[in-house]
Amino acid sequence: MSRIAAMVALAALAIASAVLAQPPRQGGTLRGVFNSDPPTLDPAAASDTTSSAVIRQVFDGLLELDEKLVPQAALAERWTVTGDQRIYTFTLRRGVKFHNGREVKAADVKYSFERAAKGKRPWVFEKITGARDYIKGTGSEIPGIRVVDDTAVEIRLDKPFAPFLHLMAYDAAAVVPREEVEKRGGNFASHPVGTGAFRFASWRRDDQVVLERFRDHFRGAPPLERVVFRIIPAEITRFNEYRAGQLDFTDIPTGHCQAAKADRELAGEVAIWPTLGTHGLRFNVEKPPFNDARLRKAVAHAIDPSIIVDRLLEGCVQAAQGILPPSLPGYAAGVKRLALDRELSKRLLAEAGFQGGRGLPAIAFNFNTSDANQRIAEVLQSQLKELGMTVELRRLDWAAHIKLVDDGNVSFFRQGWIADYPDPENFLTVLFHSRNVGAAGNTSRYRNPKLDRLFDEADTLAQPAARYARYAEAEQIILDDAVWISLYHYTSRALIKRSVKGLERTALSSAPEFLSPLRKVWLEK
Amino acid sequence: MLGDLGRPLAGRLLALVPVLFGITLLVFILNAVALGDPARAAMGQRADPEALERMRREYALDRPLPVQYVTWMGRVLRGDLGQSFREQRPVTEVIIERLPATIRLAVAATLISIVLGVAMGALAAVRPGSTLDHALMGAAVLGISTPVFWLGMMLSLVFAVNLGWLPVSGYGGGDPRYLVLPAFALGALHTGTVARMTRSSLLEVVRQDYMQTARAKGLSEPLVLAKHAFRNALIPIVTVIGIGLADLLVGAPLTETVFAWPGVGRLLVAAVSQRDLPVVMGAVMVFALVYVLGNLAVDLAYLVIDPRTRRGAS
Repeated sequence: MSRIAAMVALAALAIASAVLAQPPRQGGTLRGVFNSDPPTLDPAAASDTTSSAVIRQVFDGLLELDEKLVPQAALAERWTVTGDQRIYTFTLRRGVKFHNGREVKAADVKYSFERAAKGKRPWVFEKITGARDYIKGTGSEIPGIRVVDDTAVEIRLDKPFAPFLHLMAYDAAAVVPREEVEKRGGNFASHPVGTGAFRFASWRRDDQVVLERFRDHFRGAPPLERVVFRIIPAEITRFNEYRAGQLDFTDIPTGHCQAAKADRELAGEVAIWPTLGTHGLRFNVEKPPFNDARLRKAVAHAIDPSIIVDRLLEGCVQAAQGILPPSLPGYAAGVKRLALDRELSKRLLAEAGFQGGRGLPAIAFNFNTSDANQRIAEVLQSQLKELGMTVELRRLDWAAHIKLVDDGNVSFFRQGWIADYPDPENFLTVLFHSRNVGAAGNTSRYRNPKLDRLFDEADTLAQPAARYARYAEAEQIILDDAVWISLYHYTSRALIKRSVKGLERTALSSAPEFLSPLRKVWLEK
Repeated sequence: MLGDLGRPLAGRLLALVPVLFGITLLVFILNAVALGDPARAAMGQRADPEALERMRREYALDRPLPVQYVTWMGRVLRGDLGQSFREQRPVTEVIIERLPATIRLAVAATLISIVLGVAMGALAAVRPGSTLDHALMGAAVLGISTPVFWLGMMLSLVFAVNLGWLPVSGYGGGDPRYLVLPAFALGALHTGTVARMTRSSLLEVVRQDYMQTARAKGLSEPLVLAKHAFRNALIPIVTVIGIGLADLLVGAPLTETVFAWPGVGRLLVAAVSQRDLPVVMGAVMVFALVYVLGNLAVDLAYLVIDPRTRRGAS
């Protein structure tokens, strides 16, 4: 019997191996979806994930992130870095072609970076020597970018910056052909030309973006013939389109996570994976009453996020202890939030002069409009009421919310953060360094010299272990000082048809926009 | 006849100028009162101070509000609606590429509401108080009171997802099958109003003395209704159709959102949330124009339907 079982197992393994090893089927159209129209398809003008999802297919950068979020060669076939971690030299692959047939040269890299530095995401380039002056308009070029010859470009940094290679894999640093940009002018944003595995085919605004296979891609033609991104704003419509078989993947509508898992038809198509984001509560430490750390700590000790995670969000997100999500390199499991302790909360409130909440004026809690945010705010309101605190809910659309938050006009507010690239610097330094107070990220307006020193060291160190130790120390200081209260870490919740193969679910991807390379995707049917 | 219409037509078109001016001023003030910085809204979650400043300079957002409005108005008078903050291209272009979809949807919804509404109202009026009358008027009330958003979702679920007869959403490159569900969802509200007005108008007309005269002449009942009653009942019906334009304009953003229809209504919703003021102003102007011109068309229809109004007009 055991011999038969072993034979069956072996046969199954052989079949499974054969299936797994089968070459990707060529052809077919992948039908994806976005929830809004991309504002632009120009890497220099983009600042949103929808635009990025298309840009990453049409353009390449010097590097790209693999499924483990490690930078790998793309347009650059190799690179070197000097011992002081300040000079990077990238050697380009030979024979890489733009979609217009012209070969990529090192001068294209310099042109693209200088162009993008004056775009919406100049922070990607600001570490390069001379970039700040150029961005401000006082320099005619970025001297830190030097074209060595047609196949090599050297980039010099003001000082070492550990996540620099991640920036070179970021879509703002995509390489564009100068002649196409100049020929098309503003229309380049709606008729992009890059080197990517898919070339731009058409775009009907608010309807769909169509890409088609680029046969001369330097990695070879991708299996898919076409990719169609439909633009469907209502999540229930996206869900209906998926059920009607008109989409190959989509997101799961809010509140349908468990229902989708329990649905017999959908269960095998549900995919949930952690992403690089955290939903948190922030205090403006300059504004009363939360300029008093005791009051911030009283709130932190009184909030029980488990109700939000398990009940409101159906257990489909990750409970949070710290600020950094577990999927981010540098995550420290030892970092802990202030523990739930309502007695301690009451004592802290009394120490601050508000025994039982008496004398404490009503506190406004600001959040941006969404059903989930509304329900979370109601839970917080009810939990803080037990402490004797009266919380008034202030719901505004995102544009109004972020304006108040950036300007420091609110004292207690909701803020989520999703990393642009997988490094703690993109979370902690951006959100809490004193030089980033305001719209640049530090909306808590927190100024702590010790924290700044830890960030300055960690951002420049080459050794990951030493860097991560400093970030962990900084993260614990922030949590202990109750500047930020983490509620949960984001996950991506998607439905993906079984016929779709090779769609990477990296922590940077969040459905419905998959930022992973679609050149690896093929359709089984 | 058109000679008679020249003066009122010119008068109506002239009246459009202060209406549009008032509407744009109101929208501008509302936008200024609403919180939010367009540059910040366009910048995403991480805003670079330099990039923010540059955008504010480029779009003159750093200028005082009255100056911004006067500058914008000056451009409009030269036929330039400005640049979209979000898409960074001319607003005229942004609107024009979406306008045909909205016009198709509005025309189809209007036709559905007229054909269905008039038919339902006429059938109900033939046998007032009958079961058919109650059923048709019940359906009309249901149409009026059902939210467009909900009706759209239900139509989509039944006819697209479950039965698979029609597409769930999208424009389909102009394929008429894609138009059916959104047009019905948008037209339903107005169908009910037209049906109720047609019924009551017809019932009022059939009680008139000249109707008895027509019957006494030996004309058949259908002919009496079609030739004598219907024409006289048309004025209030046409009025309701004109007023219904407002319903269509209110319903368009919702319908376009549910059915992922690439029209101006959806553009307006996105532009408001993004504080893309030039697009908001441009889209509102288009809606105002459609409304005013639609009502002008109704006034012209009066002149065609009822010769007595021509004397008044001239």
